[in-house]
Amino acid sequence: MMWLSGGFVFRRGTSVYHRLDPRVKLLISLLMFSVTLMVQALYQLAMVISVMVAVAAVATVLRRVARTMLLTASFSGFIFAINLLATGNLASSALYAVRFVAIVVSTSLFFITTSPDELEQVMKTFRLPRDVVFAFVTAVRFIPVMMLDTLQIMDAQKSRGLELEKGNLLKRVRNMVPILIPLVVNSVIRSGELAEAMESRAYGAVPKPTSLVKYRARPVDKAVTVLAILLFALTAYSFYFLLPAHFP
Amino acid sequence: MIEFKDVTFVHQNGVRALDSVSLEVGKGETVAVVGENGAGKTTLVKHVTGLLKPKSGKVLVDGVDTRETSTAQLSRKVGVAFQNPDHQLFSESVEKEMAFALRNFGFPPELVEKRVSWGLELFGLEEYRESSPLVLSGGEKKRLTLACILAWDPEVIILDEPTVGQDAIQKEKLAGTIRLLTSTGKTVVVVSHDIEFLWPIQPRVIVMKGGRILGDGMAAELMLRKDVLDSARVAQPQLVTFFEGLSRRPKATFADPLEVRRWAGGNR
Repeated sequence: MMWLSGGFVFRRGTSVYHRLDPRVKLLISLLMFSVTLMVQALYQLAMVISVMVAVAAVATVLRRVARTMLLTASFSGFIFAINLLATGNLASSALYAVRFVAIVVSTSLFFITTSPDELEQVMKTFRLPRDVVFAFVTAVRFIPVMMLDTLQIMDAQKSRGLELEKGNLLKRVRNMVPILIPLVVNSVIRSGELAEAMESRAYGAVPKPTSLVKYRARPVDKAVTVLAILLFALTAYSFYFLLPAHFP
Repeated sequence: MIEFKDVTFVHQNGVRALDSVSLEVGKGETVAVVGENGAGKTTLVKHVTGLLKPKSGKVLVDGVDTRETSTAQLSRKVGVAFQNPDHQLFSESVEKEMAFALRNFGFPPELVEKRVSWGLELFGLEEYRESSPLVLSGGEKKRLTLACILAWDPEVIILDEPTVGQDAIQKEKLAGTIRLLTSTGKTVVVVSHDIEFLWPIQPRVIVMKGGRILGDGMAAELMLRKDVLDSARVAQPQLVTFFEGLSRRPKATFADPLEVRRWAGGNR
């Protein structure tokens, strides 16, 4: 839960990065994501991650990103082990494992600095169907609510003598049933109530509703966009043509 | 039974939810915790269950330091009915829902059966024994959560906003259950905004604001302290307001507002 909270839940901030046009932030995250997939060697990945860390520092979310990286590392350890067992190749297994961390960080940077409202506007910019946009944004918006629900459910069940931290793996998994069922039921009830509330406030009454916010790129947004694309092009070129895939 | 010794608790976001709270609740007492939203009422009771541990100070429940035991272990002594019943109901039948905690505590099957039947009968849920708890109405779910707790017979019973979603008859029944529990020596802590519900029970009232205790005393006295109630944004019971209004009349029949005590007694 904390992994989810630290990694993907937006918290208001006043940094330069927070104030960027959300479309620019999305572009930066997409570029970082793409570069991560282009990487062919661990040292190249280290370079990409260091750029991500620099972006996180500018956005003043370094501590949250560091925590995300640390917690994602446990999953990537699993990826490493499976790859190593399947291929026997230490370097490529490590590459896959670290790449997973980089992918999570690149997406997390966008979500933790972009409010659900901004996210909605970005999606509308791409002319995605309104219902799809609404469903996605609502899902994002409800992550903190579901986290709070989970904590409250855990509290309620612990107060009825449920020992979540005791027993072997199977027992612990079984102990999650009293947590998951109320969580799912609550979510279904809440989604039904939300749908009714939305309809009673004229959701879907007109095919093209007006928008309160319209984004216009400022000079700083344009400059950051150009810089990000240039850096991406340079990095991609270097990875394919200048830097060796592996150290000689 | 419950002892708070200079307890301070700060949430992760830096909000000081409890600020040097010292408090003693004796065995068999009925205590109502009142105050505006964010006053620290729920945080206070979560310390009794061990769900929250004090940042400084100590919370003792029947002499046990809550920092040295788990919530699951402490729950044998402290039962909590949380505000939202949907946060705990998960079993396929009402019967199994009630048996959940009893099984966690290792009760023998015949005792589980006996306790379940007793609880269902007490709260008028017998007809739903085989039904899914998820199909019950809001009020029935609330009663079921209370029945679930009483089934394992804890020493301390905490009710967080027990009247939410309850009709007048059920509220009266609930008040009767609280009195019954008190008469059997149970310690009952009720967190509620519903002053009209609390007034006939005549509990000891703890008024909270900003994580501090503003007032602590019996309902008949504390509910006359308009300054304390206003400061904590707590409404005075209508009966008290009525008597105070009468007392301001030149030829007041009930000149002494403390006369309400007699009325409160008559309401029992």
